[in-house]
Amino acid sequence: MQIYLPIAEVSVNIFLILGMGGGIGFLSGLFGVGGGFLMTPLLIFIGIPPAVAVGTEANQIVASSISGVLAHWKRGNVDVKMGVMLLIGGVIGSSLGVWLFTFLKTLGQIDLVIKLSYVAFLGIIGTLMLIESLNAMRRAKKAAPSKLHHHIFLHALPFKMRFRRSKLYVSALLPIGVGAVVGILAAIMGVGGGFVMIPAMIYLLGMPTAVVVGTSLFQIIFVTANVTVLQAVNNFSVDVMLAVLLLIGAVIGAQFGAKAGAKLKGEQLRILLALMVIGVCIKIGLDLTLTPDDLYVLDTATGGH
Amino acid sequence: MRAYFALPSLLQASLLLVLLAAPALNSARANSLEVDLAKPDVRLDVSFKGSELLLFGAKDLAGDIIVVVRGPRKDTSVRFKERIMGVWVATDEVIFAQTPAFYALASSRPIADLLPLSVLKKEKIGTEHLNLDVADKPDGINAARVKEFFAGLLRNMARKNLYTLEPGQINLVGNQLFRTDLWFPANVVVGDYAIDTYMIANGRIKSKRTTQLRVHKVGLEAQVYDFAHEQALLYGLLAIIIAVMSGWTANLVFKKRG
Repeated sequence: MQIYLPIAEVSVNIFLILGMGGGIGFLSGLFGVGGGFLMTPLLIFIGIPPAVAVGTEANQIVASSISGVLAHWKRGNVDVKMGVMLLIGGVIGSSLGVWLFTFLKTLGQIDLVIKLSYVAFLGIIGTLMLIESLNAMRRAKKAAPSKLHHHIFLHALPFKMRFRRSKLYVSALLPIGVGAVVGILAAIMGVGGGFVMIPAMIYLLGMPTAVVVGTSLFQIIFVTANVTVLQAVNNFSVDVMLAVLLLIGAVIGAQFGAKAGAKLKGEQLRILLALMVIGVCIKIGLDLTLTPDDLYVLDTATGGH
Repeated sequence: MRAYFALPSLLQASLLLVLLAAPALNSARANSLEVDLAKPDVRLDVSFKGSELLLFGAKDLAGDIIVVVRGPRKDTSVRFKERIMGVWVATDEVIFAQTPAFYALASSRPIADLLPLSVLKKEKIGTEHLNLDVADKPDGINAARVKEFFAGLLRNMARKNLYTLEPGQINLVGNQLFRTDLWFPANVVVGDYAIDTYMIANGRIKSKRTTQLRVHKVGLEAQVYDFAHEQALLYGLLAIIIAVMSGWTANLVFKKRG
């Protein structure tokens, strides 16, 4: 069954969109990522204009994150205090990021630099995470209890705060800093940054994996809600009809994802997440290196919509 | 869908009769050409998945017919990708001015047999004769290189089904009537279209008619689009409220199920 989308100005298959929403929603509930980095290319692949894909995707993530966060809330896996700190950092970071992006753009070839550093970044994070979680799994089998996290110089920073859900007593500057760095990345890359945020929360902040997923989703709600409004006002690129179709699938998928996540151990979840991060890294790498079908491309950014 | 077409086709049949009669009665007037469309506009509604539009007409000469459809124009940028250190990078950019967003062509016989090249170029019949102005290009790019960019533009537009590189068929009914189905794909651009119909005989254009066609959104599509553009902030907030409600609802449903 086809439906014509008023903003995207293309005709799409309803069931295809519902299915895509469901799949991405599942990953979202499972890992605490928004899923924009997967959904946006998928939408573009089926013919949605890139600007509309980005704007609409943000709107859908709001829905799947809320669905996911509520499911995690029931299990006490959302650290609101930590989420707010990350968010404060995120707002600062994304404002800086937008400014940085505009500046870098004047230097030319910024897209390439970003993509290359992204590939390197994801490759390193994914690999380290995979090694760490595999080790953790081996250690767990030997049943030797290890420390929750290592105490490094970062924990000597001032403004210490107690984060009960995360079982942490650290400086508020730490989550704000992490949020800011991810915010900069998110603004430059045009993605929510969930899968950069999550490794940072696990390894830099030392939060328990289960709490990380719920808290990340909490934070993503606000980031993507902000993006939705900005895209709607500046680019008119939010297609409500497409968003509704996507989010029907996504909110249901997120519930199943959260349920599946509750059955997994922390290190198992981290292995899967690491594999996904590596997968995204490979995908972007291939996009950059595989010979395109046509060497001449239409620049859709100058579409004038 | 059938019923929807029934009335226009009835109208069109009677119109064809009238058109057929008109030149016969008035055969003294030379080179007469009449053209009409089965529907005055292309309406994009929720169920729109591309649409066929019948163009029909009558002529008083035993000539051939060429039909050219041109969509609204805007500057269009074409970029070239090259491999730098193993990575594909979009480098040079050429911007073609006033590029039609849609170009379709139909003909009763192969166009090369109908008109000399000079006339095709002058009337811009065939995408290869669009002869677009260059609004912007990198310094030191020669004309041959610009041509490659232009060929790239044509390939990209053809891949999106927005340009027809090979002419469609126009059916001549006897000497005086003709008809052709114009196809507007689902990704067709909204705006004002111009349809030029040429009557050709002995390698010359004997007559030309221009028909205007509006491609526009109707019903829910138009309402959503207008709302998104006129009340952008409210629209964005509403989008978020919808998202919040659906997330919440899904959670309630699943809570009940356990």
